Amino acid sequence: MQLIPHADQIPVHWSWFQVLLLLTFLIHIILVNFILGGSVLTLIDVIRGKTISKASSGIPTLIALTINFGVPPLLFIQVLYGQFFYSSSVIMAVPWILIIPVLIVAYYGAYYFVYKINSKTVLAKTGLFISTLILLVIAFLYVNNITLMLHPQDWGKYFRSTGGMNLNFSEPTLWPRYLHFIVASIAVAGIGKALFAYFDKKSDKELRNQEINSGLKIFSYATLVQIAVGVWFLLVLPGKITWMFLGRNGLATILLGIAVLLLIPTLIYSFRQNFRYTISGILLILILMILIRDLLRKFYLGEVFRLSDLEISGKYGSLILFLGAFIIGIASVYYMIRLITSSKKQ
Amino acid sequence: MNYPIWELHSITGGTLIAIIAILHAFVAHFAVGGGLFLVLTERKALRTNNPALLAYVQSHTKFFLLLTLVFGGVSGVGIWFIISLVNPAGTSSLIHNFVFGWATEWVFFTGEIIALLIYHNRFGKMDSKSHLAIGWFYFIFAWLSLFVINGILSFMLTPGKWLETQNFWHGFFNPGFFPSLFFRTGIALFIAGIFGMLTSLSNKNTPIWDTLVNYCLKWIYLPFILILLSGFWYFKIVPETSLDNLLVSNAEAIKAINIFVYASILIFILAVFFVIRFPNTVRKMATVLFILVGLIWFGGFEYIREFARRPYLINQYLYSNSIYKSNTDAINKEGILNTAKWISNENINPGEKLLNDGKEIFSLECSSCHTLTGRNQIFNKTLYFTERGLIAKLSGLNKINNYMPGFFGTEDEKAALSAYILRSVHGKPAPKEEIVNVQSLESKPSEFNSRKDKYVLLVWNDLGMHCVSDNDKYFSFLPPANTLYAQLIKRGERPEIINTNVTLEYEVEEGFRNPQNHVDFWQYSEIVYGAKFQEGYGLAGNGISGSLKFNENKGAFMAEYIPVTAYNDNNTYNPYPSFTIRAIDNNRNKLAETRAITPTSTEMGCRNCHGGAWRVNNISGFSEETAINILRVHDRMNKTSLLNNALNGKPALCQSCHEDPALGAPGNPTILNFSSAVHGFHAQVLPDMDADACALCHPARVLGNTSCSRGRHNTRGLNCVHCHGTIEDHAVALVKNEKIKKKPAADKLLANLSPRKVATQAEVNPRMPWLMEPDCKACHGNFNIREEGKGVNGFNNWVPGGAALYRNTVDNNGVYCAACHGSPHAIYPAINKYGRDRDNMQPLQYQGIAGSIATQNNCKVCHTVDMKYNGHHRNMLKFDKLNLKNKDVALK
Repeated sequence: MQLIPHADQIPVHWSWFQVLLLLTFLIHIILVNFILGGSVLTLIDVIRGKTISKASSGIPTLIALTINFGVPPLLFIQVLYGQFFYSSSVIMAVPWILIIPVLIVAYYGAYYFVYKINSKTVLAKTGLFISTLILLVIAFLYVNNITLMLHPQDWGKYFRSTGGMNLNFSEPTLWPRYLHFIVASIAVAGIGKALFAYFDKKSDKELRNQEINSGLKIFSYATLVQIAVGVWFLLVLPGKITWMFLGRNGLATILLGIAVLLLIPTLIYSFRQNFRYTISGILLILILMILIRDLLRKFYLGEVFRLSDLEISGKYGSLILFLGAFIIGIASVYYMIRLITSSKKQ
Repeated sequence: MNYPIWELHSITGGTLIAIIAILHAFVAHFAVGGGLFLVLTERKALRTNNPALLAYVQSHTKFFLLLTLVFGGVSGVGIWFIISLVNPAGTSSLIHNFVFGWATEWVFFTGEIIALLIYHNRFGKMDSKSHLAIGWFYFIFAWLSLFVINGILSFMLTPGKWLETQNFWHGFFNPGFFPSLFFRTGIALFIAGIFGMLTSLSNKNTPIWDTLVNYCLKWIYLPFILILLSGFWYFKIVPETSLDNLLVSNAEAIKAINIFVYASILIFILAVFFVIRFPNTVRKMATVLFILVGLIWFGGFEYIREFARRPYLINQYLYSNSIYKSNTDAINKEGILNTAKWISNENINPGEKLLNDGKEIFSLECSSCHTLTGRNQIFNKTLYFTERGLIAKLSGLNKINNYMPGFFGTEDEKAALSAYILRSVHGKPAPKEEIVNVQSLESKPSEFNSRKDKYVLLVWNDLGMHCVSDNDKYFSFLPPANTLYAQLIKRGERPEIINTNVTLEYEVEEGFRNPQNHVDFWQYSEIVYGAKFQEGYGLAGNGISGSLKFNENKGAFMAEYIPVTAYNDNNTYNPYPSFTIRAIDNNRNKLAETRAITPTSTEMGCRNCHGGAWRVNNISGFSEETAINILRVHDRMNKTSLLNNALNGKPALCQSCHEDPALGAPGNPTILNFSSAVHGFHAQVLPDMDADACALCHPARVLGNTSCSRGRHNTRGLNCVHCHGTIEDHAVALVKNEKIKKKPAADKLLANLSPRKVATQAEVNPRMPWLMEPDCKACHGNFNIREEGKGVNGFNNWVPGGAALYRNTVDNNGVYCAACHGSPHAIYPAINKYGRDRDNMQPLQYQGIAGSIATQNNCKVCHTVDMKYNGHHRNMLKFDKLNLKNKDVALK
């Protein structure tokens, strides 16, 4: 525990950052699910020789947005948990920094695939394959870092390789957590596929329904698998934490309970191919999962750190700058979308 | 300190940051300037109703999107990743202070990419006015994100008032904000131009090439007006120390500046390819070259900016190695290892502790900029150091040159780091203290019969120690040159000093008669001293034997600059060769004979720090390696080419530039005098030491081969520092005198020197070396041994000038102080390690007691009768217990 660095002062109350972190992370992770799950599904389609979903062509654009929405959670996690996050990042520095170049490759791979989507060349397929593989690896590295930052007691492994060639293989939840994420990505990508078709008013109605149903089907089966993975994940958590979610902590138990209860109707609606109810259900579940994930982090770190430990300088001036910019940003985006919808083709 | 350190081997973290950051920033500036390029070019196409141009804009947009969105976007996140790995403390500091700045930047970034995606995907699918509006949205958002990032980037170099207030706005709108903003805006437009040129010439629509080329040329060269103007403004607000780093001291920075300057020139030369209508393939190649040169130019700028900030990450706040300026006092007190968190102390056996500590310290303090054997490697940078030298170097960091942080930690930690670098990295053995065992030499006084002999001959060397820099092949500052003084006294109740009708002949002892066989002074004398001397004869034409001439001004016989050395023809070393001096009358009758020693040492401690072996027989002398290493440092720090000159057969006399009263050399009036330069510099690197600092260079080491401090003061427990002050005191006094003469280097040396004997520099009395030495009367005001109430306080009580020096003063009767009391540093009774009474031969000869001549009422030595009054100075006849006691010590 002596390794945990001192935390720096934060300008305003931590709850601001907490809310911003969870909110932006929710958007980010949904986008991540779309691109990761979407790539996997597209790859499966390509391998099986099926027609590629029109939704697949949106992947590069979604990567742009995913990266963009990854910035604020990356920022706010550093604000709130920097001393943990930086330490674990340095411990696995080499794989961590490799994310950047390989992500660039994956991104260009995705663009290449989309530009050649109709020609289906071997090179295009290879591009997709490499992109998908890279995204899977990046997700794995993220799970490593996010779990390693929660285990200061394991940081001693740094001294065995100060060159940053470490991963967190000693972490018992590593694989179930990773799998939990991959399966969720496929499920949410199923929803994404349906969503794309739902808004794709230009396409043939028949085709759209077909796509929506196929998306919901993917979601349903993936979610069934997810139930098993989720139980596994819950059980390999440290006993103390498992019990937190099974009664010892009121909030944790209630959140998990509601999520599980919500899952039943959501699955029923998805099997019945009711898109609107399914998507509402899954959105609520995702919000709950984000909250549960955050609680899990707090349980892990509870003994060594609480957000209330952070010193606050109370300088609110720059918050106003951000809020002002935020409003201008939202207004601008709204205006730009209005321009698209109101604009006629020349 | 606070965080683990990512250990890298072939490359430094800084280089990794530079690679990612320069590539990213290049593209990111393109993303800003290119935004304006897109909308203005689209507008131009629309206004001139030029569909070919519009088609070009569309194809350029795709290129723009793929480069800025994909590479630019991801590499931007890459900077976050890499800086948090290489410098988590600095990153954390920037994040926590500017979190809402970053968040604001994210909002603009989001607006930017949404606008770009729309602009690209809807090209030709919207009405042109709306599409153009989207383009403007893009550019404004992109420029706003530059606006925000610029605030944080410029903050790192010029944090301004933030340092006191820690206020976000003070940090953000820092003194560098606006010059940097305009400068970067100019760069953004320039880069837009060069990429525009690239896509123009790749455009399939050949007829519009020439229009496009001319159009892009404007984008490339017009921004230089903005770049130049804001560049000057930027330069104005850069702190003075940064300018010194950039322009003078940091060789790496000077490289970056050269790259920037040459790339700027190339950029203008490249215009030729486009103004003249070269074939298209040539122009295409030139465009690629343009982008490369542009990238190098831009990298040069970013490197310059980084170097300007050295040694800080956030100027005046956080050092490059993640140490907060505010923590340094605590670290110096408690040690870096006690204050850092990520230290491995597991399973270290005590024998390896020193080196392991050193390794940890290297990691903590050095590794952010230096690898061991890779980039900016410590191995090459410490090639010419000894452990002692490296400790000195560490002490001197951030003093003369400011581009590196100081060493923070304890003296032990400094030693551990040096040991690690020299022993573990270089594989050199641990240094051992050299203990020189000296054989006692024959030191028999000449005969004297107090009843029969009519004359007393007193002879002394004017300096208690003279050194010879015996490597004239490389440089010289001390030739072989000992000066003997003599006074012949005719004994009697009223003794007489005899100056006429007498010849004083001197002759060195056997073994020292061929100095030309031992040193290369004669080989280089013409180049170094400007005159060719006959072998064996010195600067004043005196040889190793000859006669002392009477000097009217001095009132004594003198033989100046006898070129005696410490090397005996039998290959032994003796820094105290003896001379026999005979007084002979005009009929060649011997009136008196005595022996005197000429202290001449080649135990110059330069090698303690600068490395190299002893030159002669592993015992003494200035080796080539030492000399070369010294010149290397001098050349590097003062931009001289002394080593090259020496290697080309043109060694220099240090005093040809550095004034020196000891040699009567005027030097260059704008350059520090020799003593001030040497002491002023070395005081920076040998701080907080006692007389051991002096003995590192001068031949005063107790276990060394000379031990020149051998007089009465020394046997009473006084050392160099008691009279001269510590090296810091000494240096301040010398350099202050140069400051009065407005020599430019003085301020730099004084900036980091605090005297230790007195509280402030203001209290130190400036002094001219050699001419203003400690006044004996500071302690011996009444010519007593020492007076009650007077501390040992030679320091700061300088004699007013050369005439008042101990070695130049005479009593009321014209007898030199040194005639009776001995040479400085060898005041009778002295203890010489080459024969206990080697310095005392004359008192022993004349009175049988190794004290001052006439001590213990031995006035009969000259007066033949006991005297009842103080004829030479006050308090001569005072019976002094201490003196007796001292005699006992001496005689043991």
